[in-house]
Amino acid sequence: MEFFIKKENEKKREYDALVIGAGPAGLTAAIYIARGRFSVLVFEKVIPGGLAATTHLIENYPGFPEGVEGEELGRLMEKQARNLGVEFAMEEVVDVELEGEKKRVKTRDGEYEGKAVVIATGSSHKKLGVPGEDKFTGKGVSYCATCDAPFYKDKKIAVVGCGNSGMQEGLYLLRFVRSIDFIEYFPYIPADRILQERVKKHENVKFHLNHQVLEIVGDERVEGVRVKKRDTGEEKVIEVDGVFIFAGLSPNTAFLNGKMELEDGYVVTDEFMRTSIPGVFACGDVRKKVLRQVATAVGDGAVCGASVVEYLEGR
Amino acid sequence: MRVIVFTAPGCPWCTRAKNYLRERGISFKEVDISRNPSAARDLVRMTGQTGVPVIVINGKPVVGFNKPLIDRLLGLK
Repeated sequence: MEFFIKKENEKKREYDALVIGAGPAGLTAAIYIARGRFSVLVFEKVIPGGLAATTHLIENYPGFPEGVEGEELGRLMEKQARNLGVEFAMEEVVDVELEGEKKRVKTRDGEYEGKAVVIATGSSHKKLGVPGEDKFTGKGVSYCATCDAPFYKDKKIAVVGCGNSGMQEGLYLLRFVRSIDFIEYFPYIPADRILQERVKKHENVKFHLNHQVLEIVGDERVEGVRVKKRDTGEEKVIEVDGVFIFAGLSPNTAFLNGKMELEDGYVVTDEFMRTSIPGVFACGDVRKKVLRQVATAVGDGAVCGASVVEYLEGR
Repeated sequence: MRVIVFTAPGCPWCTRAKNYLRERGISFKEVDISRNPSAARDLVRMTGQTGVPVIVINGKPVVGFNKPLIDRLLGLK
């Protein structure tokens, strides 16, 4: 029944460029394309801002001396894009047809056509893939500190991953929780030193470096994290009530359904952000690259937007 | 119709849920669980989960932005 209702409401619209993903990369590309006076539609399944919108404070993006909340930065970028005539479809993209002159993007609510497509779907926090993780997701295991921190007031938690995300989100969680056990796979803390210094000022934090997570243990609720020290093989259970996981990123490319060549799941581009398919571009965290930050996403988006404009002018 | 949206600041799906209800002209009451610890405890009891948004429509809780279920409970489609 639902299928038929969707069919009736199906929209079909044409744009010069279709941008998939309203994170910093996609919004920057859209701004550049709109300034080239081409029509742009941006698809977004959650809210503008991308993964950065879940970050409570972004402090390494220039122009905001006191830092900026991720959601606020997304809102500002969206406003700038809308002021230039960029349109938005708050819909999840489920399939694409990228070959040929006219590209098609399908969402759950309709189908759209564009001369150029920008893939800016970013990445998400990676799952650890250990026993107990799926069982307790949303019931003691979380990938979003700003979303779930209030549930852990005065509780003991573990944060897996001591990169910039783990440390930054850890600082936010410390406003709520009783203590944090940080667990890091590498024998050192990969995060920026400025973040390490701030976290270490807290007395209720403990670091377990060079430890691999084996399992999230518990019957009805999370009771702890079983870890193994990587050099000695020694195992122990760290007793906690909840686990926040910030251990690397995973690209959001499932919707491509094998229609584009990927490397480790990421889209490969040249320095003009062109993919192997003419008229299809990619920018931001979804791209194979070395540093995934708002600043690099914006840089990618600018190059990408300029390349799309050049491509469209040649049509 | 009584709609309550439980949220936390900086939770993107909470913003998405609120925007969706506004687009559909549905008025709702918002409870920010970061300012209301007892609401957080109530939610865990009610849903068995530790996450927001939770949208309670006429007493029935929806965990996450589950659009088809929200539409059904609101009688939209």
